[in-house]
Amino acid sequence: MIKQVVLVCLILSTACFNIFLATIIFVTTSFATTNNHPLENIVFSQDPASLQRGAMIYYDVCRICHSMKYIRYKTLQEIGLSNKQIDTLRGDKPENSTPEKTTSDHMLSTLYGQVPPDLSLMAKARKHGPQYIYTLLTSYTENEGKYENPVFPGIKMPDAMNIAVAINESSKEEIKNQAKDVTEFLLWASDPRASIRKKIGLYVIIYFSILSILLYFVMKRVWSRLDNVES
Amino acid sequence: MKHVIGWIDRRFPLTAFVKHELTEYPTPRNLSFWWNFGSLAGIVLVIQIITGIFLAMHYKPDASLAFDSVEHIMREVNYGWLIRFMHSTGASAFFAMIFIHMARTLYYGSYRAPRELMWWTGQVLLLLLMATAFMGYLLPWGQMSYWGAQVITSLFGAVPFLGDEMVIWLRGDFTVGNATLTRFFALHYLLPFIIVAAVIIHLVALHAVRSSNPSGINLKDKNNIPFHPYFTVKDLFGISVFFTVYSYFVFFNPNLLIEADNYIPANPMQTPAHIVPEWYFLPFYAILRAVPDLVGGVIAMALSVMIFAAMPYLDRSKIPGGARYRPIFRIMFYLFMLDILVLGYVGAHPPEGFLVPLGQIATFFYFAAFAFLRFFSKWEDKWLFNRGLPAEVQAMLSSEQAQKTDRRHHKKDRRETPGDNHND
Ligand code: HEC
Repeated sequence: MIKQVVLVCLILSTACFNIFLATIIFVTTSFATTNNHPLENIVFSQDPASLQRGAMIYYDVCRICHSMKYIRYKTLQEIGLSNKQIDTLRGDKPENSTPEKTTSDHMLSTLYGQVPPDLSLMAKARKHGPQYIYTLLTSYTENEGKYENPVFPGIKMPDAMNIAVAINESSKEEIKNQAKDVTEFLLWASDPRASIRKKIGLYVIIYFSILSILLYFVMKRVWSRLDNVES
Repeated sequence: MKHVIGWIDRRFPLTAFVKHELTEYPTPRNLSFWWNFGSLAGIVLVIQIITGIFLAMHYKPDASLAFDSVEHIMREVNYGWLIRFMHSTGASAFFAMIFIHMARTLYYGSYRAPRELMWWTGQVLLLLLMATAFMGYLLPWGQMSYWGAQVITSLFGAVPFLGDEMVIWLRGDFTVGNATLTRFFALHYLLPFIIVAAVIIHLVALHAVRSSNPSGINLKDKNNIPFHPYFTVKDLFGISVFFTVYSYFVFFNPNLLIEADNYIPANPMQTPAHIVPEWYFLPFYAILRAVPDLVGGVIAMALSVMIFAAMPYLDRSKIPGGARYRPIFRIMFYLFMLDILVLGYVGAHPPEGFLVPLGQIATFFYFAAFAFLRFFSKWEDKWLFNRGLPAEVQAMLSSEQAQKTDRRHHKKDRRETPGDNHND
C-alpha cells in the first residue's frame, strides 16, 4: 500500500515539477520589446498548411529583400511541399541551394540605407521572436505617405504586407492571417528540428521518469538490508 | 573470468583497488540527498566531454565560419541539434550542480578540518570551470559571445602597469577577433581534461579524509557502510532524476538560457543594447558593477570568487559541523543565499534606478557575511554553551575529543614503528 502511494506521489511530483518549471518560465516572460512596446501574445501551431502558405508569402514578398541562407530548397519537403512545387520555386537553381534575395545588395542599401538581415534565424534572434515578428508586421501605420511602426520606431523596412493601407477590416484580417502564416514559417525555419526534438523528448522524459521510479525501489530494497543491523 | 582477474591482479592491484575504493570504502550511512550533487557534477563533466568531442568534429574555429558551422551542426549533422543542445544546456547544468554542491559544503561545514584540501581543490575546479565556460561561450561567435568576451577580457586592463599588454596578449589582437577565437577553442578543448585531472585529485583527497556527513563529525565505524552497493544505487537514482530534469531543458526549452542576441552573428561594429553574461556569472558581474571604480570592481569580483577559499580559517566555531547545530550560522547561510539571488537579479538588469544602491548593499552583505562570520560564531558559541548543548552535540564533542587523543596515540605508535604505513 505504502509503496503504491510513494509511486503515485513520485509520478505526480515529477509531472508537477515539469509543469511548475513551464509555468515559471511562462509567467516570468513578459511579452514586450526592449522599448516596452507590448507584443501580441499569439500561440503558434506549426500546422503544415499554415507553414506552406507562409513559405509562399516569404517566397513572393519577403524574398525581394531578405535571403534565408540556412534553408535549402529541398528541406521544404519537411513542411509538406511536394517535389514539384519545390522545383517550381527553385527554378534552375540546384535543390541544395538556398533562397537568395531578388534585389541586389547595392540597390537595397541605396534604397534603405542597409542590407536587410537574413531571415533564417530571425524568430530566434529577437526576444519572443515569433510574437515580435508578427506584431512588427501588423503594426505599420501610414501618416502622410510615410510609414511608421511603434514596435520598431524608425524602421527602414517598408510596410511589406501593406497593412497600413488596407481598405477595410476584412482585408486587414486577411493580412493579419498572412502575417501569422509567414511568422509560422520563420519560426519553423529558425529551428527545423524543433518538432522531432519535442517528439523524442517526450519519450526520453517518460523513460527517465520510469527509470527513476524503478531505481528508487531498487535503492529502498538495497538499503533495507541495513534495517536488521542496529545503527 | 576469475583467471583473467587473477592474471591482472598479479600485475596490477585491480581487486584491491576496487575493494578499497568501492566495495569496502566506508561511507557515512546518514548522508542525505544533498550528497548526491558531487556525483552529478561528475556525470555532467562526462556529458560535456563526450558531446564536446562530437561538436569539435563539425565545428570550425574561424571567425568567418564559426557561426555557420554551428548552424550546420544544428540543421544538417545527424542529431547535431541534440549534441549541441546537450552541450549548451550541460554548461548550465554543470554550474547548477557545482553551486548546489558548494552550498551543501557551506551549509554542513564540510570545508572544516580535515577537509580543507577538498575545499581548495574544489575552488580550483570552480575556477577551471568558469574559465572553460567563458571560453566556450565565445565559440558560437554570436553577438553576445563576441561582446561578452570583449568586456571580460578588457577587465584585465585593470591590472597595474601590465594591463594593456595583458589584454592584447589574451586576445592575440587589439580587439577580440580570429586570433581570440582560435586560442579560446584550443583552450576550451584542453581545460576539460585538466578538470578531469583535478577531479581525480579531489577524489583522492576525498578517499583520504572520507565524506563529511550531516552531523558534522566523523562517525564511528559501525555507522559507516560500504560505498557499494548502497551509494552506487543512490547515486544512480540521483543521476536518473537529474536526467529527467535535464531532458526537459534539452528537449523542450533549450533556448531558455541562450540569449536571443547570440543568434545574430558577431558584429564588431554594432554593440548590443545591453551585454549580459551567462546566468552563472551574474552575481559576480553585479559585484563588479557595484564598485564605481574599474580597478576596485575587478578586485571585488576576483575576491568574491576567491574568498570561499578562506572559509576554513574564517569559521572557527567550537561546535562541530555547519548549520545543523548552529542557528545563527544557519540564518547567515540562508541570508547569504538570498543575497546571491538578489545579486543575480541585479546583474541581469541594466544598472538603473534603485538597482544601483541595491547592488551595492547586496555586495556589502556578501562580503560582510565572510568578514563577520568569526564574530558571529564566537557569540553563537558562547550563547550555545551557556544555554547548554543538546545531548547529542555534547556526545559528539566528547567522542571527537576521544578520537583526537586516540589519533595522537596512534601517531606516536606509528613514529615508533616506521615501515608500517597503514593510514586509514
Ligand atoms: C522592400 C524590402 C523589404 C521587404 C519586401 C521585406 N523587408 Fe523586412 N526588412 C527590410 C529592411 C530594409 C530591414 C532592416 C530594418 C532596419 O533595421 O531598420 C528589414 C528588417 C526586417 C526584420 C528585422 C527587424 C528587426 O528587429 O531588426 C524582420 C523580422 C523582417 N524584416 C521581416 C520581413 C518579413 C517577414 C517580410 C515579408 C513579409 C519582409 N521583412 C519583407 C526590407 C524588407
